[in-house]
Amino acid sequence: MAATNLQEIRRQLREKFPSAHGFTTISEPVAQISKTLFEIATFPAGAISEIIPATTGGGLSLWIAGLLAEPEEAPPFPKFVLVDGGDSFDPASHTAAACSQLLWVRCAKVSEVMKAADLLVRDGNVPFIMLDLCGLPPVSLKSLPAAAWWRLKQLSEATRCRLLVLAPFPLVPCASLRLALSCHLELADFDLPRKEILQRVEARSEQLRRAT
Amino acid sequence: MFAAFHIADLPMAAALLESPHRHDQPCAILRDPTNKDDAKIPLLSLNAAAWQTGIAPGWPLNRALVRCPDLVVISRRPQRETELLAELVEFAERFTADVEITSQDTVLLDLAGTKRLHFEGLESLPNSEVEVCHSLAETPDLAHFAVLEPRTRSRFISLREIATLPLSLIGKLEGDAKFLPLLELLGLRTLAEFCQLPRQGLTERFGPRAGHWYDLISGKTCRLLKLHRPPESFLQVMELDDAIHSSEALLFVLNRMLHVLASRLAARHLAASVLEIRLRLVDGNLNREIHLPEPLADPVALLRPIQTLIDSLILPSPVIALELNAATAFPLSSQSDWTRRQLANPNRWADTLARLEALVGSGHVGIPVRLETHRPDAFELRDAINSSVLVSGNGRLPDSSVPLHRFRPPLRISVAFEATPDLHPRPLALLTGPHCGRVLELRGPFPSSGHYWNPAEKWRRAEWDIRLENSPLLRLVHQPGDRWELDGTYG
Repeated sequence: MAATNLQEIRRQLREKFPSAHGFTTISEPVAQISKTLFEIATFPAGAISEIIPATTGGGLSLWIAGLLAEPEEAPPFPKFVLVDGGDSFDPASHTAAACSQLLWVRCAKVSEVMKAADLLVRDGNVPFIMLDLCGLPPVSLKSLPAAAWWRLKQLSEATRCRLLVLAPFPLVPCASLRLALSCHLELADFDLPRKEILQRVEARSEQLRRAT
Repeated sequence: MFAAFHIADLPMAAALLESPHRHDQPCAILRDPTNKDDAKIPLLSLNAAAWQTGIAPGWPLNRALVRCPDLVVISRRPQRETELLAELVEFAERFTADVEITSQDTVLLDLAGTKRLHFEGLESLPNSEVEVCHSLAETPDLAHFAVLEPRTRSRFISLREIATLPLSLIGKLEGDAKFLPLLELLGLRTLAEFCQLPRQGLTERFGPRAGHWYDLISGKTCRLLKLHRPPESFLQVMELDDAIHSSEALLFVLNRMLHVLASRLAARHLAASVLEIRLRLVDGNLNREIHLPEPLADPVALLRPIQTLIDSLILPSPVIALELNAATAFPLSSQSDWTRRQLANPNRWADTLARLEALVGSGHVGIPVRLETHRPDAFELRDAINSSVLVSGNGRLPDSSVPLHRFRPPLRISVAFEATPDLHPRPLALLTGPHCGRVLELRGPFPSSGHYWNPAEKWRRAEWDIRLENSPLLRLVHQPGDRWELDGTYG
């Protein structure tokens, strides 16, 4: 059978039974997802979401700043956990009130990140956990087995945790939501208030489905 | 039947224990002086020789010195006073377990369960040999009254005899003498004269406290004692025949001790708030304290933080003995507040934090707080269990409106630059590092410095925000000695 015929059959099957096939990407309108980008409810509970930069300097730090926002009063215990693979979070870029919502776990290796994530997801007391993998070498990230992510996914399903992976490239095979962030910044923008800069962060959503 | 034990002039008795050679010399202790140069500080306590000269507590020092020029002022010994009171309590507990510490020099005993009606021959404390006065009465407060007056000591005193005591006795009991000067102005001298007044009139004119004293002196009220209970110790010590080398065996022994502790706590309706563990090793000791996020009495829940601790320990030598102690608190019984966010399981959270710290190292887990300095990247991590971050006290704005993704440590790079008449050269291109290229646009320099007075800690730097082609916005730093670094990327 010619290769073209095989591809045609595959295409027809994919169209007829979309759920029976691997990843399918459903892009949502940019404006719609960007509005709720900094809201916790945007990310599904009991699942892994992934945020990647669409361009260089894709605005991952800006997204963290938008998520932390500036609360009126310090909470009695952390609202978010940041497992920082590259030890790159900068407290000086945020207000004290914003930082007071965050439990910061400073890691140096990818193995530490995964073990810390495992502990935190199992714990379940703080149901919003961010894994920042952007400061880690790509080689070590690619060496992570897919089973590690599936195990984390199953754990988060049990404890209803929102697990967010901030990665330099698509990494999590079982991510329920993948957002590609982009934000074009100029040096002149440093004079603008942060609220205006946050409005420039754009996200392209990719709803991922896997046949399982 | 109630008894009162009292040490007359306890501050002086305590001070004379340390200076026994002053027994025959008139001595006085002053009330806590606010102004040490003030000659009118009242006297607090006297010894027998000073009493014989005619002076009394409450006299100003200058007046007492006129009457008794040989008077020696000695200082108080609070530690000794506490020890004397403890000895007095211990002495009282020989006769009954129901003892109240009424004041710093008096204890009351409930003799309901005993047949003893006199204490002759027991006039001094067995250890320190300080004289103890006692008296017996129908109610605890009457016994207290009686023991304060020398002529009613060492016997049972009836209600009728109490009435003959001077009214000024009320003034010796702390905080109740506000209406006493007024009563003395009315010409009242004895407690009997006080009781002859109508109770309602007393209450209307002098307040409910006067009514309370009326009931007390006339024997109408018999209050319950506030019983003194010695602090309980939950310390357990286990000496081991064979030294323990493995953590599993150590946990096994600790688990057994925890079950004993839990049953003792449960019997007292208490819970452990702090666990103190002491491991006696072949070479030295190892002490650790575990502060539990909420009081626990369940041995399984108590074992979990201990397991985390033991797993993170590297013992230099085998364990030959263990000690386990606990600080207690009342178990939590409050209902969850639905209007506030609360941790689902604080104990598990504390355990997770301990495990995280064991994984990534001490000082690498916590809530970030900026330090009050302009030194770059200066922060500390606060404990996430007892975090009370003062937002108002640390309300600094972010360094820039675009957050920085830091390189820790900063990346040392080579930069092509041109010298300027200013202190800081102008960067032209980044030659090495992950982001190389010509500098297309820049903001800066932003110079900063600090600790110039301390050669070991002084620092100086200039920062630029730069844009390269096909690269994120960067923060470039120049330090003295033409040292160039990349602090991080923006965005």
